[in-house]
Amino acid sequence: MAMGESTVQTMTSVGIDIGTTTTQCVISRLTIENTASATLVPRMEITGKEVIHRSEIYHTPLHQHHLVNAVEISRILAKEYAKAGVTPRDIDTGAVIITGESAKKENAKALLEALADYAGDFVVATAGPHLESVYAGKGSGAAKYSSEKHELIVNIDVGGGTANYAVFQEGEAIDTACLNVGGHLIEIEPGGRKITFIAEPAQHVLKALDCHLKVGDEVPFSHLQKIALTMARCIGEVLKCKVPSELTRKLLMTEPLTLDYPIQKVMISGGVADHVYKDFSPRSVEEISFFGDMGPLLGWALRQTLLEEGFELIKPLETVRATVIGTGTQSVNLSGSTIHVKEQSLPLRNVLVLAPFKNLTSPMPDTPEEIAQGIRKSLTALAGEYELHPIALAFEGPRTLSFPDIQNLAQGILLGMEDYLMKTNRLIVVLEKDCGKILGQSLAALSSQDMEMICIDQLDLGNSDYIDIGRPLMGGRVVPVVIKTLVFDTKA
Amino acid sequence: MSLPNQDLEKIVQDVLAELTKRGLADSASKEQAVPKPAFSSAPAANDDEKMVTLVSADEILIDNPANLAALKAMKKTTPARICIGRAGARPKTASWLKLLADHAVAQDAVFVDVSEDFLKKMNLISVQSAAETKELFLTRPDLGRRLSEEGRKTILEKCAKNVQVQILVVDGLSSTAIEANVGDILPALMQGLKASGITVGTPVFVKHGRVWVQDEVANLVNAEVVISLIGERPGLGTAESLSAYMIYRPNEKTVEADRTVVSNIHRGGIPPAEAGAHLVELLKLILKEKASGVNLNAKLHKD
Repeated sequence: MAMGESTVQTMTSVGIDIGTTTTQCVISRLTIENTASATLVPRMEITGKEVIHRSEIYHTPLHQHHLVNAVEISRILAKEYAKAGVTPRDIDTGAVIITGESAKKENAKALLEALADYAGDFVVATAGPHLESVYAGKGSGAAKYSSEKHELIVNIDVGGGTANYAVFQEGEAIDTACLNVGGHLIEIEPGGRKITFIAEPAQHVLKALDCHLKVGDEVPFSHLQKIALTMARCIGEVLKCKVPSELTRKLLMTEPLTLDYPIQKVMISGGVADHVYKDFSPRSVEEISFFGDMGPLLGWALRQTLLEEGFELIKPLETVRATVIGTGTQSVNLSGSTIHVKEQSLPLRNVLVLAPFKNLTSPMPDTPEEIAQGIRKSLTALAGEYELHPIALAFEGPRTLSFPDIQNLAQGILLGMEDYLMKTNRLIVVLEKDCGKILGQSLAALSSQDMEMICIDQLDLGNSDYIDIGRPLMGGRVVPVVIKTLVFDTKA
Repeated sequence: MSLPNQDLEKIVQDVLAELTKRGLADSASKEQAVPKPAFSSAPAANDDEKMVTLVSADEILIDNPANLAALKAMKKTTPARICIGRAGARPKTASWLKLLADHAVAQDAVFVDVSEDFLKKMNLISVQSAAETKELFLTRPDLGRRLSEEGRKTILEKCAKNVQVQILVVDGLSSTAIEANVGDILPALMQGLKASGITVGTPVFVKHGRVWVQDEVANLVNAEVVISLIGERPGLGTAESLSAYMIYRPNEKTVEADRTVVSNIHRGGIPPAEAGAHLVELLKLILKEKASGVNLNAKLHKD
């Protein structure tokens, strides 16, 4: 018999994307259901993701090309919330993704403060090229394509400032990269041909072409075409060459793709994408400068280049909204459905993850003392940073799921966290394997301390990830967890 | 556990001998590249597992698949025998042998008894149902639902009375499930119940028992709730699956709908130790609501 709590629950999730060029938000409704049959242990899953409001696409309000006008952003959100008929109090979860140039430190903090009123109880700021790429690929439909067709596909989200790559296999991102190429790196008088701004990465491209274009010049179409094709080739190179050219290396903001897999299918999302999938052959600068940048031309160049190099272009479900939809609908993970939560202070934000045995080649140690040593080592490496953030310990699981191995892990955790627990009295453990409830029970039984404890499972976390843990849902069976990277570094 | 696998080995060897007689084994094993030593050499006791795995369960046997990744992804979603290819209109020898082997494992789970060593190790008092033999147990379900005279006596003599929770371990239709799971689920249950301050009776093993035997035990020891950990009818997917049946204060009017059940407890379903912790919560709820089965659900829905 199922336990008697409600079997369906909905959450309202907001996704906010503040990019180099555009700012957008979407509001979606996530449905959580118990998908297990009556005699089984309940299994809560997100079964529906419906976008209920798409905002207009706004130009990101900037001062001097790099400072985001946070006040203006909060006005945009107020307007869109009103249109969607929601108040900040209705928002259960979601994420703000601050990307490209706007992700600079001086912006991030001001933005977070400005957003605090609109972000509800459990919205987080998140950034970083890895997550951004993955969200874009999930929002564009590339992740779904790979799991439905069982074929590998690369999503490239080409926006104003960056091209974000995510390689998907069976619905999972297996590789990501970020290249500093986008449609807004050179700004042009809208409808005209006068250059009004050249961003630094575009200077690298000009230099490689030996082109002396500068702000104020009227740019000839042939020049701009050459620039767009060069940028497009850089984008294509990342899909083909393990050792890219000097220019591409300069523009790469991350490691290049590993290319340990064959790439055939490519999906382009982002603002530039609309002109990739359009039958469009521009002949003059005036024809492409209506947005005040070279985006449409870059789209055209990308289509030429990728087809020439033999890639198959797959149409995305979303183009310019891919990232924001991915952010709004895909950023929440649910924990496993048998967990141990004895904690009054949820939601918890900015919990720093320590994964002492992650990426070890040797198997998980099996004595409590060895486990404790690993934990102590990770704690020491933090050098006191845990005074700034709550700490979560992440493990794949005990060596095996047997009761004795679970006891060993519990003892190891209590031993290794002894000093920490004297200071905080709060223990957060996240496991990949399905053993959160029994580990929580064992920790409580073995500890002499009456701790606030959260022991959740079926989540895969890496060292130095940050997570937000929301209030329990579905009668306390699951907690929502958002994995993120913090925009601002507290150490700096 | 050693007996079922020896039987299995014998079955596999019989099948092979039969195939050899018909001149099929050699060509079959070449074609399927089934490792021969796995059959011919008598493996050490703990190699038995390898014996069972004739072809690994996740192996794709379709020749020249157009999209191998798609097959692998589908195969991952189910333990059913898909993507095994065919030889003409029939299954390939490798998958046929695997089916026979899995069938043998399932049969062993029913016919074999839980070993005395295991009961000793788990510190379980052992009693028997009114079904004296396996044959009687299988053909007369009514006998498996009540205790033997001696069984009643043992329980009255040795078990703690007036407890909140009485734990029974019942072989049911799979002794294999008992030996595979009880070592992890029982200590998890005991730990959780003890930590919650619940009084637990003396755990008892019932040989040749069925679910309803718990009603009789509940009344003998005057327990509020009885939980039976019972081996499920084995299938070709797994023979290790365990169910937990819980009943609050059973009486002569008790029916199936009065029981709360959690099934599919095994390493491929909900892991036994984790299930133990989950059952503790469920038992606490049953004690609090003073109801199990549909009555429990009705009470919870009222709130």
